[in-house]
Parts: sequence; C-alpha cells; structure tokens
Amino acid sequence: MHGVELSMENISVAYNGDITVLKEVALRAKPGEVTGIIGPNGAGKSTVLKTIFGLLSTKTGTITMGGRDITNLKAFQRALEGVSFVPQNRSAFAGLSVYDNLLLGCWPFRKDKARIERAIDGIFERFPILKEKRSTLAGSMSGGQQRFLEIARALVTEPKVILLDEPTAMIAPKISKDIYALTRDLADQGATIILVDQNVRQCATISDRLYILELGRNKAEGTREDFATDGQLKEMVAEWMNYKIDV
Amino acid sequence: MNELLLQGLVNGIVVGLIYALIGVSLNVIFGVLRVVNFAHGEFIVLGAYGAYFAQAWLGLSPLLAMPLIFIVFGMMGYGLYFVLVKRLARSNDPEHASLLVMFGLSLVLGALMLLAFEADARSLNFTLDPPFLMFGNIILPTTKLLGLAVAVVVTGALAFFLYRTLPGKALRAIIMNRDAIQIVGVDLNHLSALTFGLGLGLAGITGILVSMIFPSFSPFIGQDYTLIGFIVIVLGGLGHPIGAVAGGILFGLAEQTAMVFFSGTVAMLLGFVLLIAVILIRPAGLFGVQNSR
Repeated sequence: MHGVELSMENISVAYNGDITVLKEVALRAKPGEVTGIIGPNGAGKSTVLKTIFGLLSTKTGTITMGGRDITNLKAFQRALEGVSFVPQNRSAFAGLSVYDNLLLGCWPFRKDKARIERAIDGIFERFPILKEKRSTLAGSMSGGQQRFLEIARALVTEPKVILLDEPTAMIAPKISKDIYALTRDLADQGATIILVDQNVRQCATISDRLYILELGRNKAEGTREDFATDGQLKEMVAEWMNYKIDV
Repeated sequence: MNELLLQGLVNGIVVGLIYALIGVSLNVIFGVLRVVNFAHGEFIVLGAYGAYFAQAWLGLSPLLAMPLIFIVFGMMGYGLYFVLVKRLARSNDPEHASLLVMFGLSLVLGALMLLAFEADARSLNFTLDPPFLMFGNIILPTTKLLGLAVAVVVTGALAFFLYRTLPGKALRAIIMNRDAIQIVGVDLNHLSALTFGLGLGLAGITGILVSMIFPSFSPFIGQDYTLIGFIVIVLGGLGHPIGAVAGGILFGLAEQTAMVFFSGTVAMLLGFVLLIAVILIRPAGLFGVQNSR
C-alpha cells in the first residue's frame, strides 16, 4: 500500500444549492495513519467522505491528493486516481457472485487481465473466506461477510486513500473487531485511511489523528495523544461522547 | 383440434420471442435508467422504416440492414440520453417525469413519422423460398422461422453480454444498486448512455423483425408495440432483463393459441387477463423480486 496525503481546505457543501451541510471544513490525512472523524449525529461526518469521493460537489474550497487538486474530478475519476470508498449502506451487488463483485472492483484496470488475476488472487490470500465463497451470490452471505467483501472490493485496486464510513455499523462484535484490526493493519502498511465511526471508543483507539465535527464545522482536531493529554480536548470528548480518550 | 392447438403453440413461441425482444430492450432501459420509455414502440416503427428505406435506397436486404440500424439507433440513443434522459435525474420524481417526457416523445415521433412517411401502411419486400415449411400438418412461414432464429441469436447475444462480460455485469450491477456503481470507478453517465443506446439499437432490430413477420407497419402502430412491451415486462418482472423472455413467450403463447380458437380481439383480451392474473398473484412478475429497491 502506498498512501498519499489527502487534504481538504475550506470545504463548504450545500444540498439543493442552499441547505449548507459543511461549512469551511479542513482536514489532513497522512499516509500510514488512520484519521478518525467523530461527532454527534448530523455533524456532517459521512458528508465529508462523500465529498472527498466526489459524490457531492463543493461550493468552496479545494481537495488535494498527493498535492494534486482533485476538487473538480467526478467520483469515477477519483476512483481511477486511487480513492476507494466503503459507504455505510450496503454496497455489495447482491445478485452477483463474490468473484464478480471483486471483478467489478477491478473496473479501473479492466483491460489488464494479468493485473486483474493478480489483484483478485491477492484479495483471496488476505480474505480466505471470500475465496471459499467465490461463487456465492453476495446477497446470500451474512452482513459481516458482505462488509468484508465491500472492503475487499475497495482494496482490489491497491488504493492510495481509503474512506471507511461506519464500517462496523450493524455488524457482530467479533467481526467488528476483525474490521478494526484490518483497518489498523492497512494503515501500518502505508495506506491513508479516513474513518468515520459512531463508536468513539474504537475510533479513538485505532486512529492516529482525530477530527471532531459539530453542525458541519470543525470543532477540534489533534493526535490521539493530544486528546488524551489536553485537558480541554479530553473534557470535550468526555462531555459529548461520554468517553475519555487515553493514550 | 390437437393440430390447431399445436399450430397455435408454435406460432406463440415464434411471436413470443419477438415480443420478448421488445420487452428485453424496454426492460434494460427501465432497469438501468428507471426510465419508462413510452416512446419505445415508435423507435421500433422507426426501425421498420429504416429497413424499408435501406432496402429502397441502398438495396440492402432487411437482414443486412440489421447491423446498420443497430449502430445508427445505438448512436441516436447515446446522444438522446444526454439531451433528454440525463436531465430527468434532476426531477424530484424521475420515474414519473420520464413517463411523461417519453409519452410526449412518443407523440412527437408519431407525428413526425406521419409527416415524413404519410399514413399509408407499408411492408418490406422480403420473401423466402420456399415461403412455407410443413411439419406434419403444422404450417410454418419461413420468414417467421428466420425471425425466430434472429430473435434467438439477438437474445442470446444480449444474455451473453449481460451475464458474461464485465460491462454487462456492470450494467446489471446498476440495476441491483445504482448508488454503489460509482464506487467501483464506473462512469455512470457513460454507461447509462450506452444502455439507452443499446435499448434503442435493439428496438431498431426488433422493428426490422416485426416488419418481416407481420404484414405491414405504419406510423400509428408504435403505441401497440409499447403496450405489448409493458405487458411482457410486467409479466416477466419489471427491470429483470431475462424475465422479459419468459414474459414474451408466455404472452405470445396465450395470444396465438387464443387466436387459433377465437378472434384477434379475444386473443388480445386474453393477454390482458393474463396480465391482471399475474399482477394479482405475483405483483413483482415471474422473475421479479418483491421490494428489491
């Protein structure tokens, strides 16, 4: 995994032109790190990820990836640039087999058959359960297995930046633990990961850097150590999320 | 009695596969784009006129005109997507908006065909030798057999495309989860435009087939084909590309066997009775999945 730095500067987003949902949000995610975004419901956490991926257009601001401005690229172009997104809602194609779902993940390099074969073999090595179920229809697998398939499909392109939106929502605790371990492992291998999670405890545990959003604005930011040692930050998280971050 | 029934069944399969082709192209467009293409029948009639003029001006036989019509209609569909269909997404209710827009397009196309080609019914100058084949007491016009063969080849090619190629799988993936397709890097607009082009290309080919099999065509019959297309896809399952094949054959069998014993009007009526029965018993159609979206 070869991650690159992704940064958002002064990003504002509005639905239907006038309902502003993000106001001058700034964020910086570095390679080899998990950047966590936390905040109460309606803070705009998922909107940040959708904006980075290009599913929502910006009113103001710039998004750069490895120093390159990607603000005006469409979603599919950002995917070609190496951004992968695992949305909160189910995104596995239920009527396609596991193999076909992974094959579709290879769309950016669909003409390179050798690369497709290598990429899917690599995924099967990392996720033996998917190899076992390669011919199974995605829709007939458990929620946890589908989530692994969605993450695996996001990894098949060896992305530079991985966006994870509530990856453990509605997932059994044991599988959730595996997903967090995988997230940490991917970052340790060099990937740039931006994680949105309602589970503040887990998000804080595996994130290197945290951003707190409130009502579509940056409220606070810092490394995990900052949140654990800075009394004001620690108090803020404790008050909002009923959780104290420790180093 | 048994021979008549057999004749009706054979006719039903032949005509049913043509109906299936109407439904398949309509279903691909609806499944991928959620566009209720009420102008589909007019595009079918335009395909028939295309073959007629390709024969009159270029001397092309209807069979040779098929690839040409497919390409021309495909390009027209690709362009029309950006001019007309893409804008529907901005509507608060794209499906209903598409129904109205396409109904308007159907009226416009019907009127334009009337202006350009006049109201006279026309037919293709296409015969085969021998004109009939006899299987026992069953009579089969060779043009119908040829139409059947072409319909099988076209449907087979479409099934191969949808189920065996990556772009085809991407197209089916849009039907399953439109929001997720962009995540894998697919250019949704490009693929949607290709789909509309594919749907119109197939409509063009279907137009040639129906003009080979049925005695004549005119600017007025487009809405009949649209109606048949919708019956077929509701029977087979709305948005299910291959479900339309089953729907088409079922409708064709019901219509043609009824035509052997009763009048054409009764046969059409039976088709609608079948449609109502399927809606009552299995509202999602034979292959549809209830509440899949």
